[in-house]
This record gives sequence, structure tokens and C-alpha cells, in this order.
Amino acid sequence: MIISQSTMDVDFVRKVEALSGTSVRRCFQCGKCSAGCPMATFMEHPPNRVVRLLQLGQWQRILAGRSIWYCASCETCSTRCPNKVHLASIMDALRKLSWDAEGPSKESYVQLANKLFLQNIRTYGRQYEMRLAAVFNVKSGQFLKDLMLGPKLISKGKLKMFHSKNKNMPEIEKIFTRIEEMRKKGEAL
Amino acid sequence: MSRIGVFVCHCGENISRTVDVERVAAQVGKMPGVAFATDYKYMCSDPGQTLLKKTIQEQKLSHVVVAACSPRMHEKTFRKAVEAAGLNPYLCEMANIREHCSWVHEDKQEATAKAIEIVGMLVERVKKNRVLPTITVPVTKRSLVIGGGIAGIQAALDIADAGHEVVLVERDPSIGGHMAQLSETFPTLDCSQCIMTPKMVDVANHPNITLYSYSEIEQVDGYIGNFQVTIRRKARSVDEDKCTGCGVCMEKCPVKKIPNKFDCNLGMRPAIYVPFPQAVPNTPVIDRDNCIKFKTGKCGLCQKVCGPGAVDYEQEDTLIVEPVGAIVVATGFDLYTIDEKPKGSMIKGYGEFGHGKIPDVIDGMTFERLASASGPTGGKILRPSDGKEPKQIVFIQCIGSRAREKGISYCSKVCCMYTAKHTMLYHHKVHDGQAYVFFMDARTPGKAYDEFWRRSIEEEEAVYIRGMVSRLYQKGNKIVVMGSDIAVGVQVEIEADMVVLATAIQPRTGADSLAQKLGISYDKYNFYSEAHAKLRPVECATAGIYLAGACQGPKDIPDTVSQASAAAAKVMTLFAKDKLEREPIVARVKEAGCVGCFACKKVCAYGAVEEKEIRDRQGNLIKVVAYVNPGVCGGCGTCQATCPSKSVELDGYTDEQIVAMIEAL
Repeated sequence: MIISQSTMDVDFVRKVEALSGTSVRRCFQCGKCSAGCPMATFMEHPPNRVVRLLQLGQWQRILAGRSIWYCASCETCSTRCPNKVHLASIMDALRKLSWDAEGPSKESYVQLANKLFLQNIRTYGRQYEMRLAAVFNVKSGQFLKDLMLGPKLISKGKLKMFHSKNKNMPEIEKIFTRIEEMRKKGEAL
Repeated sequence: MSRIGVFVCHCGENISRTVDVERVAAQVGKMPGVAFATDYKYMCSDPGQTLLKKTIQEQKLSHVVVAACSPRMHEKTFRKAVEAAGLNPYLCEMANIREHCSWVHEDKQEATAKAIEIVGMLVERVKKNRVLPTITVPVTKRSLVIGGGIAGIQAALDIADAGHEVVLVERDPSIGGHMAQLSETFPTLDCSQCIMTPKMVDVANHPNITLYSYSEIEQVDGYIGNFQVTIRRKARSVDEDKCTGCGVCMEKCPVKKIPNKFDCNLGMRPAIYVPFPQAVPNTPVIDRDNCIKFKTGKCGLCQKVCGPGAVDYEQEDTLIVEPVGAIVVATGFDLYTIDEKPKGSMIKGYGEFGHGKIPDVIDGMTFERLASASGPTGGKILRPSDGKEPKQIVFIQCIGSRAREKGISYCSKVCCMYTAKHTMLYHHKVHDGQAYVFFMDARTPGKAYDEFWRRSIEEEEAVYIRGMVSRLYQKGNKIVVMGSDIAVGVQVEIEADMVVLATAIQPRTGADSLAQKLGISYDKYNFYSEAHAKLRPVECATAGIYLAGACQGPKDIPDTVSQASAAAAKVMTLFAKDKLEREPIVARVKEAGCVGCFACKKVCAYGAVEEKEIRDRQGNLIKVVAYVNPGVCGGCGTCQATCPSKSVELDGYTDEQIVAMIEAL
């Protein structure tokens, strides 16, 4: 890892700090957050290392991994932090920022799932699970993922074969366009 | 017939756990000469001492043996108690049945048997103890302070303010030491010059302080209260009384390009110079190695331009003897360098950092000079190689320190804090620059210290990277720093413009030879040893000599000033008495047997043996014998062991007593 003023993306870190309302520099790497994190064993970068990478401006390393998606937002870290670093908010901020960031998570399909979820809402005004599952499986390349759950869900009426559109589609479209405009102006993420 | 009282102590359970104290008391009680024997839980406690005193009076005891801990621990305690009961304190001895017996044995039977033997030996020895009068020696109420850094200055001012005369000896042309070189000081960032120079002026103006700058200690004789110190005043080539400090000589000197040690060789000075403008005394000194007059005999310009005629090429070193009663040693420290060390040296250099051959790798003190407003760059942080401002600067802590392989295993204590300070100074001066710090641990114990370190990270934007640097090398005009961030677990590479090494603190070169002159002990690094790490931290084991500052171990300014004031307080305590009392355990010469070979004189570590002439009534010399000056004798007994005619005896440890102890076994 080469560290210099150009590899340390201070602007991104400032955004994280503004969004989360907490200071990254305050952390002195005691490791208490990782010690108490119930999800730390599943993360390739335990919580303390996420903050450390942020201190070095190495956000790409964080977003390329699955740590931020495994965070359950239980806030144990924030509650116990001796330096008042609100790590749960930082995780939240990172998840938000990952939406536009280049080279987002390849490890995790959460981002893909989120995108498809919103696309469905925009198209149908409500969720169309069958399509969500099918497109997700195709796009993520896991064609047979959870296939055997299908019949069970269908028999219980949890998975509809055909979609039903919301009646107020223009209203929903309005919500989406408004948010898109706000994002363009920088008023929202 | 002696009436000896034996008191066996349980020491809580420390002794009684492995030694049957009651049986010891019963057995020893049967020995001839023992009039009384008992045991008690804590002999050193108030009721224990009362028991001792009461028994001495009731039983009319003539001698006392306390079987307890080491005499190092409580001999003084019990001798005081015995004295209070009306006996001569030197008729009391301690039998060590704790360190020498109960603590080192497990079997109760055997330990008890050994304890009985130990006490038995002491009973035989104490029988032959003599009544010894306390020796008193006069005190010269003047003090010597060696070293004119902040430690020496503080100690000298405190002692002088108390009304005692002080002789302050400084090796360099000016006092001030390392603190005068610093830019700003942690944790308040006040300018070092601003807080230091007024104190230096105080020293120069104090009526009670005699300042010998450019001088060294040649020889130290005598003992507590009565030292004779020979001081070598090195030839300054400038008369201090005549010089007005106008500085014309320095302006006119044709040699101008001599690296100034005060500026870590970054700035230049003439051959006749004061190390820095605020020097005290403000009298120049001629550097004879570089002066044209001294090298070729020509020039002499400074003498021609000197109005008061102070320049004197004929001046020679002079020796002066100063009588003093106490000595404060405050010789300070040197900084470790990473260059290659001579073969066989305990300390090693850093080949992986280029052995100091990369020009833009500097040490912390050089950085201080760069950052200092009165430094060679006028306070601009510029690279020594090309004079450009470094935009990426890397600080590396623990260079030399905490590296057993390099020969130094201790922590230098100040580097964490001064590196944090350096990052701040850098950030204040180079706004678009970035400072990185490689560190193993941040050790910031001290008032407002941790806050200061955190401030350098949180507010002054220094990037701290936990992990040591493996290698440094020059690449073009950059220095590649190869390290690792152990919090992330990745290798880190930084192309830096300048690297600052926080190098270790070492004792002054030659600290060992000064210690030998003073007769004080030092550790394997040449740091001076205190008498007790916790309870006597400013005193040397040698009476009358006190320590202040980094000559004892790495110390920051607040600690140094505290210790200097503490040493001054100890000197004042000594000077509060007109006469000193000391232990009369000294050697005596039996003149009848002495043949005057003076083997004792050769081995005496204290210089206590003198020659004494014995004459008959007509004044004819009969013979010359040895005489032990009781004021100087340290009571070590080496002379007694050396004497071929068995004519020297150490009170309390005579041959007769030692033989009696052996026979008691």
C-alpha cells in the first residue's frame, strides 16, 4: 500500500465524517469495537480496521469488502467506544456513499439487491418478488440460488406468479424524480 | 562477663513460616554470655522496639543481637532504639535470618538449625564489639554543580537563592545545554528560548553563583562536606573580564564556514565565536583547531579590531581548586546517531536506514534547529540537501530506543512527545504538507501529555501509523520509507521528502570517566545510578553527591527541573547542619605493627590512608606509618584484607571477631 497525499482521499473521509456526524481521527485503535462486535467474525475488515482504513483514506478497500454489509447496526461499538466515535453511523454513511462510489462491493450482492428492489418499486409501485429473485439470480450469476424455496413460498401464497401494479404510478414516479433532482443538486445522497 | 540480649523476630510470617523462632530463642538463650532471649512478631514495630528498650534496662544488658531481616533494612532502626535505652548503638548487631535463611529455605528443621547458627555467630561477634563514638566532620557550605543545562541551572539557582555559594561548571562556551537548542517545548508549545534565557541571565547575575564556562572537572578529592575539586579552565583566548561582547571580532574573522555544533552543523560560524547570540557568558571563544592564527601564525585580525584588547593568543589552561561540601551532577545527555559504530561496540547503527548517509534523514534535534526562529533557516523548515520545503515528511520514533539488538533496551521517554510537537510545528509552517509518524507505542504519561499527542492527530492532521519502518533508501530526490500498518496488516510505502528520526537519549560521552573521578556508580549504559530507585532517587550511593536531569536516565524538562530542585533541597538539608555525623565503622592502624609498606594506601578506594611520622621525644624520626583519616574512610575493609602485618583493623569486623564467628559454627 503506497501512502501519499494523493492516495489518501481526504475528501471522501470528510464526507463520511459529515454524514455520520463523528470524527474518524478521534479513534486511537484500542480495538474495543471489534472486541464486542457480534458480526466481526464474518468481516474481512473488523470494525476497528474499517476506521483505520478511513484514517488512511483507503475507502476503496472498505467498499470492496463485505464488512459494511455485515454490520447489523446493533450499535454495540458506538455505545462502548471510549472516544465517542459513532462507528454505527460511520458504517451507515459508508453504505450510503457506496451507492455512487466507483468500484463498489464485488464481494457482496447487497448493492445489486438494493438496486433491483428500487427498480421494481419504480416500475410496479410495489414489490414483484418473482422478478426480483429471477433478475437477482441471473445478474449475480447464481442461477439456482434458493430455487427450492420457490414452490414452498408459492404454495403459501408468499410469492406471486404475476405482478400487480400500483394504481398511483405517476405519484410514485414523482417521488423518484424529486429524489433524483435533489441528488443532482447535492441536497440528498 | 557480657550480658547479651537476643531478640528473634517473626517478621509477620516471613521468618516464622520456615524458622521455628521459639526454638531459636530457647537454644540461643543457653549460650554462654547470653542473659536473655525472646521472640516477637514484629521487632521493628513500636511495641517491638519498646520491648527491646525495656529489656535492656530491666536485664542490664551489655550487648544486643536482633535476629531479623537484613541490616540494610533495619540496622539503623535498632541501633537508634538501643541508643535510646542508654547503650552505645554499635553494641547492637543484626543477625539476618530472613534474606539469608527463611526466604531461601523450605525445610523448617534445617532452616531452624541454620538460624540458630547464624544467631550464634553474631552473639560471638557482638561480644567483642567496642564502644564507638560518633565521628563528626565539618561541612563546607558551598556547592558544586556540574553541567549548565536546565538541570544545572535550576539546581544552582535554588541553592544560591537559599543563600549558599554555588560553583557552576559548564564544558561548553555557554550555559543553556540542550534546552537552549529547542524550538518550542511540549505540552504548551512555549518557546524554549523565552523561558530559558532569563534563567541563564539569572545565573550570570546571581551574587552567589560563580560560573566557570568552557571548563571541566579535573579531579575530585575529599568526602561529603569536604570536597576539593580541581577545575580545568580551558584557554578561551579571550579575557572574560575585558571582553564587552560587542562581536566585532566575529564579524571580522576571515574564517566563516565552520559548521556550528549548536545548529547541528546546519549553520556556519567563524573561528572566534559564541555558539548562539543569547549565550551566557556572551564572551567569544577561539576555536584553535580552525583559527588561522593558531594554524599558521598569521592573521591576528580579531586582536587588532578588539577595542578593549581582550583577545589573548597566549592564554593557557588554568587549574583552580574549589572547596565545596556537596556536588550536584547534571551532565545531561547526548543523542544516539544511526551511523556505523566501531567494531565491538555495544551500541550498533542502522544500516537499513543508510547509516546516516542520506542527507535529508535528520534527527529530532536538527529538526528543532530548523523549526527554531533563531535557527540557521530562520524558522523555515527546509531540506538540508537542496533547501526545498518538504511536502511529505515522515517521522520515525524509537530509533535506537527499545531496540535490544541495537544495544539500547530502554525507552528514551521524550521522543513520543517531541515527535507529536514536531508534527504540529510542521503543520503550522507547511500548510499544504502532510506529516506521517511511524510509531510502536505512544507513551505519553504526564500532565496534559496524552491530550497533546491526540491533538497532533485530531486537529493538526498528522497521520500516525503503528508499525516500525523496515528500511529507508534514496530514490531520486525522494526517500522511500518502507513500513507497515499493523492495525490494517498491510505494508506501507511512503515517498518522503524528508525523514526525521527520533533518536535515543544516551549519557554524555565521557560520563563514565567523570563518574570515576567522582567515585559514583553508573549502569551499563553509563547513566549515573541513584542510591535507591524509589526512595532515594536524587542521591548517589556516594555521600554528598546528588543527581539531576538526564545524566541519571532519560527525562523531559518538567521532570528534570523537579529533580534539580529536589537535589538542591538535599544540598540545603546537608548545609542546614554545621557538623555532620557519620558512622564510626572505620579502619584503625595499630601503629606498633605497621611497617609502613603502604599497601593499604594503594588499595584504598576512598583515599583515606595518609602517611604519619612517628618521632621520639628528641624529634628523631622512628618510622613512617599509615594513618586512616576517619572522616574519609568508607569502612570497606580492603586495607584490613591487604595488610601483610595484620596492622589495620576495621571496627566491628576485626580478625578476632571474624575468627570468633567461624569458631561458633
